[in-house]
Amino acid sequence: MHRYEVAIMMNENRLTNSFKSYVGWDDDEQISSCETSFIEHELSPKLHPGEMIIAEAQSVLLFTPVNEQKTGISGVLFVTNFRLSFITSNEKHLKETSYQENLLLGQYDVCLSNIDIIYLLTGDKKKRLMTGHRFNDKVKGLHIICKNMRTLSYSFKFSPLGHGKTLANALLHHAFPKRHQLLFAYDYREPNVQSRYSTPTFRCRDDWEKELQRTKCFGWTLNSSNNKFRLSPSLPQFIVIGSAVIENHLRIAMQHFRDGRLPTWCWSTVNGATLSRKADVVDPSNLTQENAMLEIVRKSHPGLLRPFIMDLTKNLPSPKDVNQSFIKLREICAPESARQFWVQDNHFYSLLEASKWLQYVSSCLNSALIAANKLNRNESVVLQERDGRDLCCVISSLAQLMIDSHFRSIVGLQTLIQKEWVVMGHQFCTRLGHVNSTDSVKSPLLLLFLDCVWQLLQQFPAKFEFTETYLTTLWDASHVSIFDTFLFDCERDRYCATKDVSPLMLRSIWDWEEQFMDQDLIQFHNPLFNASKVQDDLLKVSTEISCLSIWTQCYYRFLPTLEISNGGKPLEDFAVRTLINMNDNDSKDTREVCTPSNIGSFFPFTHWRSSNSVPPSTLTISSLSLNTSDLQMETSLVEIPEHL
Amino acid sequence: MDLNNKYQNMSSDSDSKSSSLNSKVEHEESESNSPTKSRRSTSSTSNEIPTVGDIKLRNKPSENVASGRSDDPPLLPGEKVQGVARDVTYLCPFSGPARGWLSVTNYKLYFKSLERDTQLVIEVPLGVVSRVEKVGGQSSRGENSYGIELFCKDMRNLRFGHKQENHSRRNVFEKLQQYAFPLSHSIPMFAFEYTETFPENGWNVYEPMAELKRMGVPNDTWHITKLNDGHDLCETYPAILAVPAGATDEIIRNAAAFRSRGRIPVLSWLHSESQATITRASQPLVGVGGKRCRDDERYTQLIIDANAQSHKLYIMDARPSANAIANKAKGGGYEPEDAYQNAELIFLDIHNIHVMRESLRKLKEICFPNIDETKWLSGIESTYWLKHIKCILAGACRIVDKVENHKTSVLVHCSDGWDRTAQLTALAMVLLDPYYRTIKGFEVLIEKEWLSFGHKFQHRIGHGDDHHSDADRSPVFLQFVDCVWQVTCMFPNAFEFNELFLITIIDHLYSCRFGTFLFNSEKERLQKEVKQKTVSLWSYINSDQDLYKNPLYWPQQHALEPVASLRYIKMWKGLYCRWNPSMRPQEPIHQRTRELLHMKMQLMKISDDYRRELRHKASRNTSSNRLTSPIHI
Repeated sequence: MHRYEVAIMMNENRLTNSFKSYVGWDDDEQISSCETSFIEHELSPKLHPGEMIIAEAQSVLLFTPVNEQKTGISGVLFVTNFRLSFITSNEKHLKETSYQENLLLGQYDVCLSNIDIIYLLTGDKKKRLMTGHRFNDKVKGLHIICKNMRTLSYSFKFSPLGHGKTLANALLHHAFPKRHQLLFAYDYREPNVQSRYSTPTFRCRDDWEKELQRTKCFGWTLNSSNNKFRLSPSLPQFIVIGSAVIENHLRIAMQHFRDGRLPTWCWSTVNGATLSRKADVVDPSNLTQENAMLEIVRKSHPGLLRPFIMDLTKNLPSPKDVNQSFIKLREICAPESARQFWVQDNHFYSLLEASKWLQYVSSCLNSALIAANKLNRNESVVLQERDGRDLCCVISSLAQLMIDSHFRSIVGLQTLIQKEWVVMGHQFCTRLGHVNSTDSVKSPLLLLFLDCVWQLLQQFPAKFEFTETYLTTLWDASHVSIFDTFLFDCERDRYCATKDVSPLMLRSIWDWEEQFMDQDLIQFHNPLFNASKVQDDLLKVSTEISCLSIWTQCYYRFLPTLEISNGGKPLEDFAVRTLINMNDNDSKDTREVCTPSNIGSFFPFTHWRSSNSVPPSTLTISSLSLNTSDLQMETSLVEIPEHL
Repeated sequence: MDLNNKYQNMSSDSDSKSSSLNSKVEHEESESNSPTKSRRSTSSTSNEIPTVGDIKLRNKPSENVASGRSDDPPLLPGEKVQGVARDVTYLCPFSGPARGWLSVTNYKLYFKSLERDTQLVIEVPLGVVSRVEKVGGQSSRGENSYGIELFCKDMRNLRFGHKQENHSRRNVFEKLQQYAFPLSHSIPMFAFEYTETFPENGWNVYEPMAELKRMGVPNDTWHITKLNDGHDLCETYPAILAVPAGATDEIIRNAAAFRSRGRIPVLSWLHSESQATITRASQPLVGVGGKRCRDDERYTQLIIDANAQSHKLYIMDARPSANAIANKAKGGGYEPEDAYQNAELIFLDIHNIHVMRESLRKLKEICFPNIDETKWLSGIESTYWLKHIKCILAGACRIVDKVENHKTSVLVHCSDGWDRTAQLTALAMVLLDPYYRTIKGFEVLIEKEWLSFGHKFQHRIGHGDDHHSDADRSPVFLQFVDCVWQVTCMFPNAFEFNELFLITIIDHLYSCRFGTFLFNSEKERLQKEVKQKTVSLWSYINSDQDLYKNPLYWPQQHALEPVASLRYIKMWKGLYCRWNPSMRPQEPIHQRTRELLHMKMQLMKISDDYRRELRHKASRNTSSNRLTSPIHI
């Protein structure tokens, strides 16, 4: 059955044994063709300071996802304490794709924190590997499903005996750490890069005060009673509470709220209405303290209006619901085989409906719009949730995005996430599943939020400084265990980690230069956005499911079959960028106009090229887009007409 | 608000352009800065500005009034008011009832609300109406239970409430019946009454010989036959046909006798480099007995021989194989592979006109008037509309793949070769040839693949005919435009035209204002002197092309390879759901389009200057100074 076609070529004194094999994945399966080369002993990942190789498997095939032909590339697979790294000698393949170049992760690497499910392939069977499992079977291959919907299929068919098993064992052991201290962030020894932007962290008094001043907030005061997290372990050291709360009362009141999370300030309108958030009371039969606190919120309103209380446990999904929905969504966005892909395709709309993902997006947008509308009419809003750490983050940040244009810039959105998610104790470690635990609920609430933001961006394409590429990258970055931003459940945990015997060096995800170079950073900037034309207007988003769409870039990009070559949004952006740039920039160097060719709809996330695609053209990003050095779009010359 | 503005808004067409061309459900909006000139007619440019009081005072019925008065609809040249009814209530499914007056002309229905807070104009060309029904009788009680309901071909229904006591319904109903269905009442179609002139004559857009020449025909292997000059060989085909050069008249005649309705394989498109072709035909008359025709086989071999790059031909039968087999019982069928030695037959699984009609009916159910949000996605799936679109698109992609990537010729047919075949060849041509992605090219494509090759527009749309449940009606052309729209979404830079262009074509597919889509074949249009007696839709469109331009258009030479997956194919809300105000886009997209277009013009100028400068430089020092990256604009 097996037919080998081996061609040995001498090339620049390197023995390259490259062949197109027609060998089945399994003996009974159809043809596969893999371009393989055996110069692998020279291959190894470029290790980061503090990174070490744990296991390696040679002559591994990495398959193109969802491909009937079972085509792929060959290389060496490594497990390190940071990532699962696949190194191929097939440089041609690397060059052909216009992929976002991550300085920390190669094109075929995934951070261990991104790995969600590992399937062991033995013969025609597929077995899910759980931690603690022992397995002695022959390891034919691995199928990995990532948290960001990427799938990776490896075959050890040509690997030396035992390589597959060693690798699988190492992966299983390291991909699901039991302790936080095992995450790579604790081992990483590279000095920080200072970002060109600075995003306030809200860990210091100054950041809060600036925000209070910016919103001209009155009736609320910055309070440092939670110094060293003495009163509430999940709240930050600085909180903004109603000015009428006196110090003694604060301690008593906090005891009555879950985790001490009494109403804390999020945002104010110029006319004095406020958005605040709180947890439920510990004892529902005793509402005295809750009423007292809500009375203080009422008094903080210039018109002494009673606040509108939104219970986010009603009409909105629970974190568990969101996770179940995500798993169903991932099933239809990351199918295992080409056959499954087309079977799903016939029922795609009903499968999408059954996942309830868009329904949840719709209800989040709707709740946020209700809150934003109230604020716009100068009514105060109090968001309430059991612990106040999940949907409170989603709804409060969405409402602020809808009503305050300040948050619609890149730094603005980062400020918002920092303020409403990071310091307010969204349990990133638990929800993103950085540490393996059976009793905690994983839930991609951050993704739900980013999807909502993406829907806003679709409906108001010129209102935001960032692009969908930025949002997708942000979601990917939340699974990189180098940055502390999304690594902890609360500020207290982060604080403790820095005071540990082997202290963690803080490294913010907002320092994008740690991961990307200018040519990729420019893709974060929306060419239609014009900072000088920003208006404060309420974005009255249409929240009905019929007005929402599926986030194709983020969810489809790992399926090569779905890439539209020479099409999609990237080309649209190129055209707009060029038009706007041409119109404004008089320098002749940038006047050359080219059609970007060979750029697919998943740019800059193109992983695989279809085999029959045209060879890459000479065009590069820099020859077309804005001056790449001119990253600060807000200060750039771009002058966009109104409504753009 | 300034009344001046208000009136101008109502009468200027600029806003309705953005949602739809020939009708508008438009609530008073404060947009008054639209620079587009009124395109409806000269009548709306009147300088007589009424006040609100004025409107209320004018209560006398007016049958034959001069244009410009507040209670007359704006009229097109050749359009006449036929009847007016006052005190009519339009039962808007979105914003509730609105009182006003209703007039019927020989072209349209025009309703205008009198109430200040719900300024509302409804304008529907009567060609769009498929059915008019009376609702309620003299004994009907309850508000608005007595009136008229109109069922439209463009995915909406309109309900009007009349008062029993003013007997206004009878007249309106009669006039609607007459002018919506002129064919059934022996009244000329409005297109023959319409007298507006445009700077450009759209009838000159398509010159069959010029189009063939553009593709390089005639040449060594393809020539033009005169056999169908008088439409004698095949009355549903055009007079000018390109056939393999080696095909003698006798072969052609014999082959025609073996093809359903004489529709022999003829050239649709020729790949300028590889010489691979797309040809179209109807089914061979194989029948249950498995008849063969040597000349048809010989003729097919000539098509293969005309392409030196390949010794094979793919015959794409658009039908599901079961339907193709069933057709044998009716004398039709498909090419048996043993008779057509070098041909490979592929069934594309596209369903017939009846299935498509039913699918559109279901689509209308979920779109209009109200959308069930909880079942929106599964509702879309249950109509199968997108699945049919996917099938057509996938079929076209297979054709493109064979022609472009395998340099092999493709012969497309279905049963008669004027419905599914037209969808496939036209769509494949859009994907293959960048020319058809321009405004002019797309017009040529419709003229050629649809009109000249005898897609039965008259029967499929039922122009002016009151048999609303006629089994011949089917949204075949609509599906094609939908497919094109899907492709424009996947390739936002590849098309010179925008969504409005496609919507305008669909609107006038029904409106009967232009002669373009009238009748079933070239022969019929010649007999009825359509070119002489009516205006072409392309005259109207080409006289104001900017409106239909895509500012992001960057011509690309390569073939487009869309992804025919339901993960991309979506509901065309801008067309099917446009009557629902909640489905409108958030931002004034058309304004942005206009500004980007303006920018693009400036850019083109700069780049032209720059190019000229470069060329100048290059000619001065002809040495090795080559331009590294080419400029394509």
